[in-house]
Amino acid sequence: MNYFKKAAALAGVAALALSVTGCAAAEEAPTTPSAGETTAVVEELTIAFVVGAESDPFFQAMKLGAEEEAAALGVNLIWQGDPTNYSPETQIPIVDAVLAQQPDGLVLIPTDPTALQASVTKAVAAGIAVANVDTRVGDLADVLTFITGDNEDGGAKAAAAIANAINYTAGESYQVVLGLTSATATTNVARKEGFEKAIATDYPGIEIVDVAYSESNPEKAASNVNNWLTKYPDLDGIFAIDGTNASGAAAALEAKGLVGKVALVGYDAYPDNVAKIKAGIFTALIAQDPAAEARLAIQTLVAFLSDGTLPASAEVVIPNVILDANTSEADLAKYTYVAN
Amino acid sequence: MSSSQQPNLRLERFKAVARNQNSILLSVLIALAIIFTLAEPLFFSVPTAGNILTDWGSIVLLAAGQTLVIISGGIDLSVGGTLAISGVASAWMMSVVLGFDTTTSGPDAYPPLMIGAITAAATGILVGLVNGFLITKLRIVPFVATLSTMGATLGFAIIISNGMPIGGPNDFSIISPINPNWMPLSWAVIGVIIIVTIVGLFLHKSRFGLHTYAVGSNSFAARAAGINVERHLTKVYALAGGLAGLAGFYVYLRLGAGSPTSGTMRELDAIAAVVIGGASLMGGVGRMLGTVIGALILFTVQSGLIMAGVAPDWKKVVVAVLIAAAVAAQTLRRENRQR
Repeated sequence: MNYFKKAAALAGVAALALSVTGCAAAEEAPTTPSAGETTAVVEELTIAFVVGAESDPFFQAMKLGAEEEAAALGVNLIWQGDPTNYSPETQIPIVDAVLAQQPDGLVLIPTDPTALQASVTKAVAAGIAVANVDTRVGDLADVLTFITGDNEDGGAKAAAAIANAINYTAGESYQVVLGLTSATATTNVARKEGFEKAIATDYPGIEIVDVAYSESNPEKAASNVNNWLTKYPDLDGIFAIDGTNASGAAAALEAKGLVGKVALVGYDAYPDNVAKIKAGIFTALIAQDPAAEARLAIQTLVAFLSDGTLPASAEVVIPNVILDANTSEADLAKYTYVAN
Repeated sequence: MSSSQQPNLRLERFKAVARNQNSILLSVLIALAIIFTLAEPLFFSVPTAGNILTDWGSIVLLAAGQTLVIISGGIDLSVGGTLAISGVASAWMMSVVLGFDTTTSGPDAYPPLMIGAITAAATGILVGLVNGFLITKLRIVPFVATLSTMGATLGFAIIISNGMPIGGPNDFSIISPINPNWMPLSWAVIGVIIIVTIVGLFLHKSRFGLHTYAVGSNSFAARAAGINVERHLTKVYALAGGLAGLAGFYVYLRLGAGSPTSGTMRELDAIAAVVIGGASLMGGVGRMLGTVIGALILFTVQSGLIMAGVAPDWKKVVVAVLIAAAVAAQTLRRENRQR
């Protein structure tokens, strides 16, 4: 059923794209339009976005940014991704289907650095310019630009936020725990590394006494925190490494009446969690800016496709931001993940 | 396992085995408690009991329904997805439709929560009826039928919620132990115990239960005996769905939000509890008390391993070994009895 719908939707979008762009644009697209060529009328460009799990709030927020930017630049946007699975098995056929529509540019969020490499090669061979956002393929030689959030820096910011909340004093010792989703998720690993490094260099009195996995289930995340609170009655802080862990940890602190007594730093600006900053449940939330990543990717592709402008730097890192009680309403609204 | 035996004789014999099964399960539970206490003295405490019972509440609701389904000779893979969509539907009803947000707390939250509970149970029953329809009318085997509703429910949960938890009214004291020093039960867990007791009585003391065993033991014989097998199975799946819906509401109470990912892999926890509890995936065998203790064992292990400081990577291995050991023990016991 799902596949029929998807196929039907793809066919529809393809027909639309062709009729709007005209076959000429598709033929003209190949590789580098010579720099300096002045085009009186810029042909309407088609840019395809292939994301990981489409339903993920992170990608929903990214979609919003992409749609805004595409509308502002008059670009035709194709948005595709598996509804729920973040995996190369489901992503590769979607990329193939999108390439068959001959877009001018492709923004790919590869779900696997190795498995998607061939798709990038295929796209570039067909004269389609490729950008990577959030995650990257192993070899960036064919990729015009790679734009990502800095997860390691986010982990370091989380360490600073916890240290600040517990009034870290050199010479004292503190206990914190780390709620992860799995041992292998790349974002988890990078955030954990950043957190550990910051603690080792700046806050040696903080000890990470335990880690546990939530397997993307907020109830499991709450259960882990419950057990920690029993085992470590003097626990000082919790770093909940993603949105799921953040939701579970917040609920566990509320149920145990320990709000404000244990510092809680979470990740990802889910609206429900952003509201909990004000209630004092979260000391801070680290937020990514997926919409900004999408906007920059489209801008870079459009600049390149219209007059061959290369990005100033091939790899762009957009820093994670810290949201806490001092963050302005405007900024809170700006970074909160919204879906349409 | 000769099929020429009278269903009732088999039933009596398996009941006797199951009674023994419960005493074995209790011994395992006590042994685990002793081991974990030796590893970490804090394990033997009221707060730990509270943690275990809080975790147990949602899974035992799923597992109680799963027990009925498995005894009837089927399987329900959709209970995790049903939990998720029921929690999300309940949150959606309370916050989007009725307009109560997270600032509604304490006793003020009770009226919307009542409506939320009804919404969750109704959503679950609806999914169960769809399962029943797929299985009895379209003749899809339960594994495949409930696999498709699992996908559909998880998908709908994400669609309704945009992939993010929906916060709503809540009173966290419902889900917290009544007294952290001497009473590990919460009001929510007491509610769960009452519900599971009723379902257990229904299974073991009513004609509905007898028919469930009969259908699971031999559906042809059950049909010959005048049982409307299709209608009975539809009721079983609807009941399992309703219980999964209530589990979704329980998780809502725990999180103060309906989360689309709160059901992920939970069907496997429920099946594990039922299997550890001594039910046979071949149907016709199983006791509610076994399932109840089976779920308790699962979460005793989960809490115990964290308390004992075992690296998280080992937890899955321990649970896997436990399930294999439980099933092997049952098979061996059954074979011994038949000699």
